[in-house]
Amino acid sequence: MDDEPDFLRLVRELFGPLSGGRWEIHCANSADAALEMLKQQKMDLVVVDNSMPVLDGIQFLSLLGKRFPDLKKVSLTAYSTEDKRSACLAAGAELFIQKPQSGEGFKSVFAMLDDLMSWAPKQGFQGMLRRVGLQDVIQMECLGRNSSVLEVYNEHVLGRIYIEDGSIIHAAGGDLTGERALQRLLALPGGSFELVPFEPPPQKSISGSWEFLLMEASRMRDELAAQTVPGEPEVDPQTLAAPAAPSVLVVETLVCSGLGKALYDAGCADVPARVMLLKNIGRQAAQLAQIASLGTFDRLELQLADGRAIAQAKPDRLVFVAVANLSPVP
Amino acid sequence: MSDFNQQWLTRRASPPGMVACGLRGPDGKALCHTLEESCPAAKMEQILAQFEHVRSALFSEQLAPRWHTWAFEQGQIRFVQRPDGWLLGLVVRPNSDAGRRLDALSQEFLNLEL
Repeated sequence: MDDEPDFLRLVRELFGPLSGGRWEIHCANSADAALEMLKQQKMDLVVVDNSMPVLDGIQFLSLLGKRFPDLKKVSLTAYSTEDKRSACLAAGAELFIQKPQSGEGFKSVFAMLDDLMSWAPKQGFQGMLRRVGLQDVIQMECLGRNSSVLEVYNEHVLGRIYIEDGSIIHAAGGDLTGERALQRLLALPGGSFELVPFEPPPQKSISGSWEFLLMEASRMRDELAAQTVPGEPEVDPQTLAAPAAPSVLVVETLVCSGLGKALYDAGCADVPARVMLLKNIGRQAAQLAQIASLGTFDRLELQLADGRAIAQAKPDRLVFVAVANLSPVP
Repeated sequence: MSDFNQQWLTRRASPPGMVACGLRGPDGKALCHTLEESCPAAKMEQILAQFEHVRSALFSEQLAPRWHTWAFEQGQIRFVQRPDGWLLGLVVRPNSDAGRRLDALSQEFLNLEL
C-alpha cells in the first residue's frame, strides 16, 4: 500500500518476475482500498508505506493487527528514524525496511519479503530471518573484523558469544564456557539473539579460527538433527523471549573452495557470476598489492546504496557476504 | 586542480595513520599527498590509475558501491568515486585514526563542492 503510483508500478514490474510467478501482487493507493482487498481475498503479507495521508502507516499496522492477526506485516519508509522504527515494530510489523532507491535495493527488499513469506515461526532464531541466522551473523562479524557480543537466549539457555577484531574469543552459555558453550549455543533449535556493542569478556576461552569453529558447529548440529526423533515436540515459539529488532539482514552468503566450487550458498541468485566476480577480485587485489606493497590481501569491503558486502578471495576459499540495512545508514 | 582541492586533501585527509591520499579529477589530472615515504606520489598515482581497471573488471549497474576498501595485511586502500567523475583514493594503516575516519571522510568527499 503506497500513495505513489510510480512506486507501485515499479514494485509490480520488478517483484513479479523476481518471484518467478510465485507471488500474486495486489496494489492499493489508500488504506480504504487496501482494507477492501483484504476483506475480499486472503493475503499472506502486507507491505505498508509509513507515510500515508489520512491514516498513517503506524495506525494502519495497528488496525491490521486487530482485524487480521495472522497477516504478516512489513513497514516501508523513505524517511526512517529510530523512533519510527520502534513504533512500527511495536505496532506489529515483522520488518521495518527503508524504501529501495536502486535495482539492487529492490532485489534486497524482495529477498527479505520472500524470506519472510517462507518463515514458519515454529523453530529457528528470531534475531534474523531463519534461513540466514546466527551463524551468518557471526560469519559477517568475523569477516568484517568487527568486535561485538552476541546475546543468545531461549527458555533454557542464556549465552553470550564474544567476537573481537573478527575472532571468536569467548563463549558462555548455561554452565559451559569456551568451545563447548559455543557449540551448544549454535546447536540450539530455537531462540532469539541480539548483537550488542563489544565489552571485554571475563576470560578468553576460545582461540581457534572462526571458520573451523563454525564448520564444527554445523557438523555437530547435523549430527544432533540426525538423532532427533521425528515427531518430537519442537521449541514452542510462544515461550521464547521477545525477538530483538534486527538492524541489518544478511541477504546473501556464498562460500566456495579456492577453485570456485560452491560449498555453501544462501540467497545467491547467480553463483557462477558471483564466483567469477570473486576470482576477478582476487586478480585485482594481486595487482593492487603489487603496486601498493601492503602485504597479503585479506578482503574487499563494499559500501552499497542499501547495505554492504564483504568479499574474500584467497587461495583456499572464496567468500561473499552481503547485508541489507533495515534501518538507514547513519 | 584548484587550491581548494589541495587544501582539502592536505588538511582533511591527513589524520594519523594516513599513508598517502590522492584526488583525480574528471579530466584525469591527479593530485597526490604523501605522508609516508613508503608510498611516494608516483605510487599513489599508480594506485589511482588502477581504479579504472578495478571498476571495469568488477562493477556494473547491479554492483555499484558508493565506496570500496581493499584491506591488506599492512594497510587499506579506500576508493570513492563521485557521479561527476571525481575520484578519491586513500591509503591508511590498519587500526589507525585514519582507518577509523575513512567513512566520515568518504561521505565528506561525496558532499564536497569541487
